[in-house]
Amino acid sequence: MTENNYNEIMKLLCDRLEGVSNSNVQITSETNIISQLSIDSIKLLNLIMEIEDTFDISIPINALTDVQTVRELADLVYKIKSAS
Amino acid sequence: MSSTITKLNAPLTQAFDFQPSSELQFTPTFNTLTQRLADFDTLTSALEYAADGITGYNFYDAKGNLRSVLPYSELRDNARTLAQRLYSFDLPRGSRVAIIADTSAEFVELFFACRYAGLVPFAMPIPVNLGSHAIYVQQLKGMLESSQASIALANIDYINFLQEAVERVESIRWVGTPGKLSELPAVRLELQSNHPDEIAYLQFTSGSTRTPRGVVITERALMCNLQGIVRNGLEIRPGDRSASWLPFYHDMGLVGLVLAPMVTQLSVDYLATRDFAIRPLQWLRLISRNRCTVAFSQPFGLKLCTLRARETDLKELDLSCWRAAGIGAEMIRPETLRNFAEKFASAGFDESAFLPCYGLAESTLAVTFSKIGTGCKSIQVDSKTLIDKKMAARLQADGRKQNEFVNCGRPLPGHTVKIVDEDGEQLSEMMVGSVLVHGDSLMTGYYNNPEETDRALKSGNWLDTGDIGFLLGGDLFITGRRTDVIIVNGRNIRAQDIEELAEQQPEVRSREASAFGVDSEDGTTTIVLVIECRLTSMTERQSLTIRLQQFVYMAFGVNCVVELVPPHTLPRTSSGKLSRFAAKQGYIQRTNLAGQLSFVESGDR
Repeated sequence: MTENNYNEIMKLLCDRLEGVSNSNVQITSETNIISQLSIDSIKLLNLIMEIEDTFDISIPINALTDVQTVRELADLVYKIKSAS
Repeated sequence: MSSTITKLNAPLTQAFDFQPSSELQFTPTFNTLTQRLADFDTLTSALEYAADGITGYNFYDAKGNLRSVLPYSELRDNARTLAQRLYSFDLPRGSRVAIIADTSAEFVELFFACRYAGLVPFAMPIPVNLGSHAIYVQQLKGMLESSQASIALANIDYINFLQEAVERVESIRWVGTPGKLSELPAVRLELQSNHPDEIAYLQFTSGSTRTPRGVVITERALMCNLQGIVRNGLEIRPGDRSASWLPFYHDMGLVGLVLAPMVTQLSVDYLATRDFAIRPLQWLRLISRNRCTVAFSQPFGLKLCTLRARETDLKELDLSCWRAAGIGAEMIRPETLRNFAEKFASAGFDESAFLPCYGLAESTLAVTFSKIGTGCKSIQVDSKTLIDKKMAARLQADGRKQNEFVNCGRPLPGHTVKIVDEDGEQLSEMMVGSVLVHGDSLMTGYYNNPEETDRALKSGNWLDTGDIGFLLGGDLFITGRRTDVIIVNGRNIRAQDIEELAEQQPEVRSREASAFGVDSEDGTTTIVLVIECRLTSMTERQSLTIRLQQFVYMAFGVNCVVELVPPHTLPRTSSGKLSRFAAKQGYIQRTNLAGQLSFVESGDR
């Protein structure tokens, strides 16, 4: 995994979150997924499925409990992808 | 069924995924034993019988590959060995053991190990929400304290949360993983048999940190309910097989899809809840591939399947084997079932398989079942009569506003349902009121919580279910829940738990928060949290609003609308208690949501 992969992950997350969010918030790595975007559980599950399919990884449910910002989610995906 | 046939039945993608090197073989559908239908004294005696056969539990991963197999024979042996290790703690009989309930063979082994050792297990949830770490640990702690648990177990994925949660919980003697437990010496004591009057397990029904409610279910109540479910509800017979994604920490998942199959010696195929939520069709593929006949879901699960299925998915499914599609655990809207049936008809799904039922953990699991094989029956009633007279009158003329309710069927043998008004007086047929239940499946109470127990168990041992409905020809129709439970996307959330969370904020005083659900026309529910607020600065008000939304999301995984109102806005009852019903009325008036107030709710319990 390289810097490029990380940027690719970040870009995909920002694009997708922009697509599913109801608000007009400009999404950056510091955007808080919980408080700034109103994403319901179904949209969240869709997003996870998409991430898993795109990067061919499995995101453990326990790891999501420490994710609040886009950066934290990107870090998690990057970590799992690097380990796989 | 041989693995060759399995492979042929498998969808193409999975047939390729199938690894011939793997030696795993799922447990068969047909048993070598004569089937017995829950005619046992206790869980362990039921397992001793099932262990003589060849059926059992099978666990699948997100891709539909078989990951582990636990025949009842192996479950019995492993559970007995683990029970002897649990003996090394030398705990008094009936001590509580907390287990974080992942969908895994380990959980089931630990659960039965506790029963062999005379201990009382209870299942704790796994964390499901983004950013929920701190709140989840608080919830675990609440259950550990309320149950006065001696031992707490979690697998490697969740042990960190558990270790945080047991801090300063004085009753805890030991905390660890199943692997750690297996390193302890086995004490070669003869295992004692259990008595039907002993507690079989606790079932927690609320995510509240301050007032968790652990339902106490005895072996007798459990077996009574299981008998009703498998004989009268499902008419279980040889050749049945179950598939389930329901969490093991819910009553429907544990009692309905772990214990009921075991006491009838059936094989079950499991998918983890998380894997179902992300790829719901895997559940249907399991049913199709393994020719399962009995599978339950909340309506929300069916909705997920309907949303996700594409034409290509339908072609690879054959659901004609599915004879009992049990539906329960939340209000059933007939459209949800119709949409599902329409979508999956081409995949062989027969809508007469729909089996609406009604129940709650306080009555072990089931209270009523509709007649199997007849599908979902509903009634259309006049909306105005329902609101004005609290009476369900059949729709006489077209064009009048109507409501449709699903027939949940009759009480299990030995159980009675009655409908009462606000003064506890029994109502006649078609009159809408509180649903009360009486029978041998009832809990003995909430563990260590006499106040909540008194509130739920009325005189004469009638359980107040908290739900609203009416009877017609002996069949129960649920029209709604009282304002103390809000259901969003299939999750039951207690209004009190949300208010409690709000009151933990320094700006919110106790009894100045009110939470309720508002339904939209398409049946989706939004949680509204109204707060009496003294803050004047816009920044502070905004900060509070965002924080509250964030906390509710982290704790319950749902969004909510926060409304800040001046002090003394929220309506109170004569005793000074907040009335959620009136708070909701007020909110609806303020926001002009005409026609939103539903008749189905009556006051607060």
